[in-house]
Amino acid sequence: MAVHLDLLPPFISRGGGEDFVKARHNLLLSVSPRDNSIGVFAGTVRSSHYAVNGVAPTQGKVRDILFASADKMPSAERRLFITDTSVIFAAFQNLISVTNEKGSEALFNVENLRLMNKLVNDYVNFAKECWVHASQAVARPDGLQYTADHYRSIYTCTSLFQTLYLPDPDVEHAPVGDELMEWLNTHFIEPSTEEGDVLSRLESAWEGEGFWEYLTRTALRGLTKATVFFLKLLSSSHPSSYLQSLSDSLIPILEDQPHLQQFKTEREFTLAHHRWKNQVKALRVELHHVPEDEETRFDGWDNWWDRLSDIVAVLEGREDVLMRVVQDLGGGWKEVCAAWGVFVDPRLRRQELPEVVERVIDVIPYDPTDLEDIIHAQLLTGEVAKALVSAEKLDVWLSCHLADVMNALGLLQEAEEGEEVVDGTGTTLRQHHVLQYAEYLHSDPALWRITVDYMCACGEIGTYRADEVLLRVPLGFSSYSQPTGSDPGGKKTTVNDDRIADTEDEASRIRAGDIVGVLKEVNQCCFEHGREGVRRMVCRIAGKALMSEKQYGLAISYYTSAEDWPGLGRVIDQVLNEYITQGPAKFTSLVAEIAPSLQTLRSAADSSDYPMHGIFLHRLMFIVKYAEFHQRKISNDLIEAAADLMSMFEGDIAPTSWWGVLLQDSVEFLNHPGGMLFTSANIGLLLRKMEEVQTRTSQGSGEDYLSVLVKIIRSSGGKGIGGEKEALNKLKMVRLALAKYFARCGVIGVGGKDSLNAVTRNSNVYAS
Amino acid sequence: MQTGLIQNAHDDLVTDAAYDFYGLHLATCSLDQRIKVWKLDESTGEWISKDAWKAHDATVSKLSWAHPEFGSILASSSFDRTVKIWEQTYSEPESQANGARSQNTSRWIERAVLVDAKGTVRSVEFSPHHFGLKLATISSDNFLRVYECLEQPVLTTWQLTEEIDILSLPSVQGPLSNAIALTTPTQTFTSLENTPPLPAHSLQSQQSLTRLGSGPHREADGGWCLSWCKERYWGEILAASVGTTGTVHIIQLLPSRRPLILLTLDPYPSPTTTSFDEAGNGLSQTRYAITSISWAPSCGRSTHLIATGSRDGHVKIWRVKRPDGSGEESNEGKWFGRVAADFDDHK
Repeated sequence: MAVHLDLLPPFISRGGGEDFVKARHNLLLSVSPRDNSIGVFAGTVRSSHYAVNGVAPTQGKVRDILFASADKMPSAERRLFITDTSVIFAAFQNLISVTNEKGSEALFNVENLRLMNKLVNDYVNFAKECWVHASQAVARPDGLQYTADHYRSIYTCTSLFQTLYLPDPDVEHAPVGDELMEWLNTHFIEPSTEEGDVLSRLESAWEGEGFWEYLTRTALRGLTKATVFFLKLLSSSHPSSYLQSLSDSLIPILEDQPHLQQFKTEREFTLAHHRWKNQVKALRVELHHVPEDEETRFDGWDNWWDRLSDIVAVLEGREDVLMRVVQDLGGGWKEVCAAWGVFVDPRLRRQELPEVVERVIDVIPYDPTDLEDIIHAQLLTGEVAKALVSAEKLDVWLSCHLADVMNALGLLQEAEEGEEVVDGTGTTLRQHHVLQYAEYLHSDPALWRITVDYMCACGEIGTYRADEVLLRVPLGFSSYSQPTGSDPGGKKTTVNDDRIADTEDEASRIRAGDIVGVLKEVNQCCFEHGREGVRRMVCRIAGKALMSEKQYGLAISYYTSAEDWPGLGRVIDQVLNEYITQGPAKFTSLVAEIAPSLQTLRSAADSSDYPMHGIFLHRLMFIVKYAEFHQRKISNDLIEAAADLMSMFEGDIAPTSWWGVLLQDSVEFLNHPGGMLFTSANIGLLLRKMEEVQTRTSQGSGEDYLSVLVKIIRSSGGKGIGGEKEALNKLKMVRLALAKYFARCGVIGVGGKDSLNAVTRNSNVYAS
Repeated sequence: MQTGLIQNAHDDLVTDAAYDFYGLHLATCSLDQRIKVWKLDESTGEWISKDAWKAHDATVSKLSWAHPEFGSILASSSFDRTVKIWEQTYSEPESQANGARSQNTSRWIERAVLVDAKGTVRSVEFSPHHFGLKLATISSDNFLRVYECLEQPVLTTWQLTEEIDILSLPSVQGPLSNAIALTTPTQTFTSLENTPPLPAHSLQSQQSLTRLGSGPHREADGGWCLSWCKERYWGEILAASVGTTGTVHIIQLLPSRRPLILLTLDPYPSPTTTSFDEAGNGLSQTRYAITSISWAPSCGRSTHLIATGSRDGHVKIWRVKRPDGSGEESNEGKWFGRVAADFDDHK
């Protein structure tokens, strides 16, 4: 189905199409993943902007980009309708899934049908409420997106569907006539109350315009009170004694007309109806006794006999008269069909309706330009799949919700047998219609929860589509993000100060490490629909974005939530990199920011809440310890700082690439004039590490041991400085400091004899 | 309904507009050699220009956003025969007295330039994220190139993992009834050897434009475009339009083996000799290049849908099935593709 839409300003002026083509222009588009809107622009197959075929380089409008959307974003009243009915949809899905667990037979048991009937009744009532709401004459600054008449159409269609396909289980197999007439009288009120009022105010009502039409219609529609009121008037005041008497006889017939709900069994009803029909026949005989002359049968205004005869013929159930009368009254095929079930065939069953309706619409066709009328006809003739197609044109809401219920009732099986899937898309009819609606909902990104709910109700294909929607819900933590114009709950449409404050508050809470707001909702939604993979991906993307913004604490929370340990490792590497480029002060403040999450992670890893890989845990422990060390150093707590330094070596948590840096860090402590900060055992360990670094470097593995030190020297010394040689020179300073320290140990006797001996041995070997 | 408008987005024609993952940013490129990044103001629906820079030395032909798990990364292809990788970086956020952070400012930095193409680069597209940070490019030298980023998150080192001459690629199966695997086109294609230096080359293509539908060397008549298969479980597969042949190859990339053509989608089912003589010559059928391809996400379906747009104004939807797929068509262990829909609404 091709849809035509004009966008402004036009790329091509009237008659300029040829030039557009000559200039080798073409139109291109791009589809937005946010809301299915498209961006349209004029492109070219030209390779440069020189004039082609004498057509000058592009000017003006062709450089514009136009944006368009297939659906209008739901407005306030529409959104209320969508959110309210989505609750019913969810309840219906729940009912079906619970029933399916019990087995297929459970679906059609009375209790279940009653529950389904109740839920469909809720749809009907919401449509009605929305119609009433839209009909109210109140000031609406934005106007209505859909007219009251639109909701009335939805109301009549859902209500007819319920009457035909999902009635109260008690009456499902009973004759349908009275119910159909009730539906007609509810939705298509004729004659109007005003007509009755006008006529009743006249002294001789029968002289009023439209008197007999009014009387016929009330009789046809079973509006007994109104009919009887005017019949009594005729019997008391009409100049013709014949008509007076006939009216007298007609009154009890109308009042006694049997209705199904008055009887316990259908048999009793049928018998009563039979007896009643005999009374009507008697009246017909009485009617024939009226002399056939103009004077008697004409009251100066109208031929009352013909009019009364028509009414009696309708009561008799004469098809030809019924059709003629309804047409004369300006009524439609629906009125005939409803009257058919009351008068022509009072035992008419639901399944027999299509045959009758087809006969009627052969004579009085439905309006092919009126979607509502078409849907009514298709529902009544049992063409459910066609009704869905028409409903889709009227409103995707209708086709979606009807298809859902139809499918539950097994009504779509037949349609699907011929064509198992819609257009080979792998979806069933129901899924197709529900997904169409979900796509419409997607036109408003704020309705993502409901969009996802509907999509997830459509099997594997729907769930995959829901995944893509879920993944693309903006999490709103980005420093670029602004409060959105629409409330996620779906009720507000304007941005107000409160909302901005809320959003800011939410953003700051997210920054503080809480998983709140949109992310929490996405998490919740993923959990409800069992989309763990999606949840993790959402967190991973968030982690990456926050890392780029140097918000490392948050990045760690998100990567942890995603259980993406390599990602976490990259954050830690990035923070260590900050030490290299920014120095210890910045580094310690960054680690202080992320320390809480690290603590949590460490304790979680200890209690094996997370099956975290050891290597990442080690890196975590190192980064915390190293930051602690610098913090103590900055605050002049040198004894503890020195202990930290040693513990990093002792616990083997320092990566080899950082050994050079740590050794370099030790110089300040070794040369500290205020006291001895290391034991001789410490010195031994430092010397051993030193030996390893130097030996390995001489063997060609300098990259593994000195890379970080080299980077630090470069970053502090500028370009051209640094390299392994420079790093090794730095280490010579460390060795000198160690040797000096050892000498001081010898004098003061720190650490005892044994350890001193050991140090002596080592120093003999390594001191240059 | 119309929802927005960017007036005079560039100083010349816009060649591509690509939405980011969330649809909140739009990257555009143009004949004016620049790239611009726009941000959607969700409260007003307006697009606000955030960044703009001169990206290439010739027309920028196509843009592609990487999956956000790799960061905020754009690739651009250009008629200057290069592909460039751009990364959005943020300056240091400054903490304010009240604890709130000031707005970060961002900037797009060129991370890598890929210079292997010997013709104008017509299209670039990042692979689905589950295959890693990879991208495919196609250029008018009829080569499809696939690159992989070796060192994330640095983005500076990109290895050319595949360099495929799409005209001489082996096919996995013989010609299908409705698909010619490889036809030998009669016209000369732009190739490595005969590609003139850029300025002359541009002029030549300009000249050829004036004779649409005739002449042997018409870069402007070809179609070089590509689209990745979004499904993970089929392996690394992409669809690429084959220059001026008017066909599309479905190409599978295999680790440590030469890539294979799984299937060729040919909109001209009867065996014809490719000819660009004046249309109306009863014996030959004019082939129009495919200029646009889009591979739909499968969303769990058993078949795949690929849309192609051709220079003849036809939009076709192809349904592609892999071997052993169940369904109404028997595909006997072969890849199978047929036209599912053909639209000629475009005049």
